[in-house]
Amino acid sequence: MLKKYKPFLRASAMDVMAYKFNILVWVIVTLFEVACLVFLWFAVYQSSEGGIDASINGFTYKEMIAYVVLTTIFGFVTFNNDTLWIINNDIRKGTIGNYLIKPISYRGKFVASNIGALLIMTLIFGIPLYSIGLGVLIGIGFLPIVSVWEFIAHIGLFLVAGVLACLINDTIAYIFGILCFYTTSAWGLNSLKTTIIAFLSGTLLPLAFFPPIFRDIVGYMPFAGLSQNPVLILMMKYDYFESAKVILIALAWLVILELFSKLLFCHAIKKVTVQGG
Amino acid sequence: MRYIKLYFTCIKRSILSRLDYKHDAIISILSFLFSNACSLCALYFILQAIPTLKGYSIAEVGFFYGFSMLPIAIDHLFSDEFWLVAYRRVQLGDMDMHFLRPVPVIFQMFAQTFQPDGFGEVIVGIAMIIVCGINLHVTVSFGAIFVLVIGAVFGAIIITSFKIIFSALAFIFKRSGPLLQIIYNFTSYAKYPIAIYPKVIRIILIFVLPFGLFVSLPVDTLLYGTYNPYLLSLCIIGAAIVLFALAVLIWTRCERHYESTGS
Repeated sequence: MLKKYKPFLRASAMDVMAYKFNILVWVIVTLFEVACLVFLWFAVYQSSEGGIDASINGFTYKEMIAYVVLTTIFGFVTFNNDTLWIINNDIRKGTIGNYLIKPISYRGKFVASNIGALLIMTLIFGIPLYSIGLGVLIGIGFLPIVSVWEFIAHIGLFLVAGVLACLINDTIAYIFGILCFYTTSAWGLNSLKTTIIAFLSGTLLPLAFFPPIFRDIVGYMPFAGLSQNPVLILMMKYDYFESAKVILIALAWLVILELFSKLLFCHAIKKVTVQGG
Repeated sequence: MRYIKLYFTCIKRSILSRLDYKHDAIISILSFLFSNACSLCALYFILQAIPTLKGYSIAEVGFFYGFSMLPIAIDHLFSDEFWLVAYRRVQLGDMDMHFLRPVPVIFQMFAQTFQPDGFGEVIVGIAMIIVCGINLHVTVSFGAIFVLVIGAVFGAIIITSFKIIFSALAFIFKRSGPLLQIIYNFTSYAKYPIAIYPKVIRIILIFVLPFGLFVSLPVDTLLYGTYNPYLLSLCIIGAAIVLFALAVLIWTRCERHYESTGS
C-alpha cells in the first residue's frame, strides 16, 4: 500500500542532495540574519529596565538567543517545501491530469516527498547543525542542562513535535497550493503563507511577547506547533505535561487540516481545465 | 531626451501587461502590506516590553523603520529586472534580443519592468513616517527634510548599484542570484538605528555596504541634529554617484561575456 510512494520519498531526498550550493548560500544568508537578530535582542535586553540579565516575558537574554538560533535551524531542517510551487506548476502546465489518472493519491505524493526531505535533511544537516548549535549553546551556558535524562526525553518529544510540524506545514502549503486553482498569483499566495507562518508560529518572535488575548488565541491555532512549540520543548521550557498538550493539539490540527484540504481539493478539481494532452 | 521617451513607452507596456492579471496584482500588493504589518507588529511587541531601545523610543524606531522602506521601495519600483538577470536570464541565455537593439542593455533592463508592488512599501513607509513623526513632535528644519529626501532617492541609487554589480557577475558565473541575495539582505540591517550594532558592524554599514549611511544617519540628523545635513547629503550623493558609475562600468565589462544559446 505504502510502497508505491517510496520513489517520491527517494526522489525528494536526492533533490536535496542536488542543491548543495543553494544550501551553502542559505547558511551564509542565515548567519547574517541571525547576527542581525542577536544584535537587536542584545540591544533590547541592554535597554530593558532590569538590565541585561532581566527576564522579559519569561525569556532571559540567553534563552532568547538560544531560541533564535534553534528556531532558525529547526526551520531549515524541517520546512523544505516546494508543494505550493509544484501544484501551481502542475496546474499551469496541465500535468496535474497525469496524476489524476494514476492509482496514487495526489496528496500522498507530497506527504512522501516531505518525509523524504525531512529524513535526508535531518541526517545530513540536522544532526551536525543541532549538535553544533546545542553544543555551543550549552557550552557557553545559554542553555542550562539540569538533568541529562530529562534532556534526552525532551529530545524525543521534540522529534515527535518536529515530524508533526513538518506535516502540518506541508498541509498548509498544500491548501495554499490548491488555491492556485482559483488564482494565478502563486507568488502572492506563497508570500502570504510565509508571512502568516513566520508571524503566528513564533519564528519572528516568541508568542509570549504578543498581547495576552491574542497570545492565547494564537496558542491554540495550528501555527504555534510549527516552530515555537517544538523549539520550546527542546529548550525544556515546557514540562512533560505541557509538551504532551501541545503535541496533542498539533495532532488534532493535522487531522482537521488534512480533512479540510481534502474537501477543498474536491471542490477545486472541478475547476481544472487541461488544454490538450 | 530620446531615452526618457523610450523609457516611458516601455514602462507603459510593462504596466499594461501587469494589469492583464488584476487579481494577481491585488493579491501580491495585499500580501506585501500584510507582511509589512506583521513585521511592524513584531517590532512593536518587542519595543513595548522595554522603555527605550538604546535611547530610542518606539516612535523613533518606527520612524527609522518607515524611512528605511523608502529607498528600498524606490529601488524595487525601478530595478526588479536585475533579479531575473541574476537568477535566470543569463543562465537561460534569453537576452539575445536586448543585445540586438540599438540602446544600451543596462538601459533596457530598467525599461523592461516597472514593479508597482513597490508602491505598497512607499505607502506604508510614508504612513509610518507621518504617524511616528507626529508623535515625536520633531522640529522640522529645511536641512533635515532635505537630507531625508536625498537619503531616500540616492539611497535607492546605492541599492540599485549593488544590484547591478552583483547581477552583472551572472555574465561571468552564469548565475549570481544567491550572491545578490546575500548582499541585498544586508538592507535589513538598515531598518534599525545603527547605534544598536557593535562598532565593527557600524563601520561596515557606513563605509563598505553603506546602507546605514542613507537611513540611520539622516534620521539621526532629523531627530537630534547629529550631523550637518548638507555635508551628509553631499556624502550620500557622492557615494551614490561613485557606486553607480562603478556599477555601470562593471556591467558593461561583464556583458561582453554573455553567451547566447544560439537558438
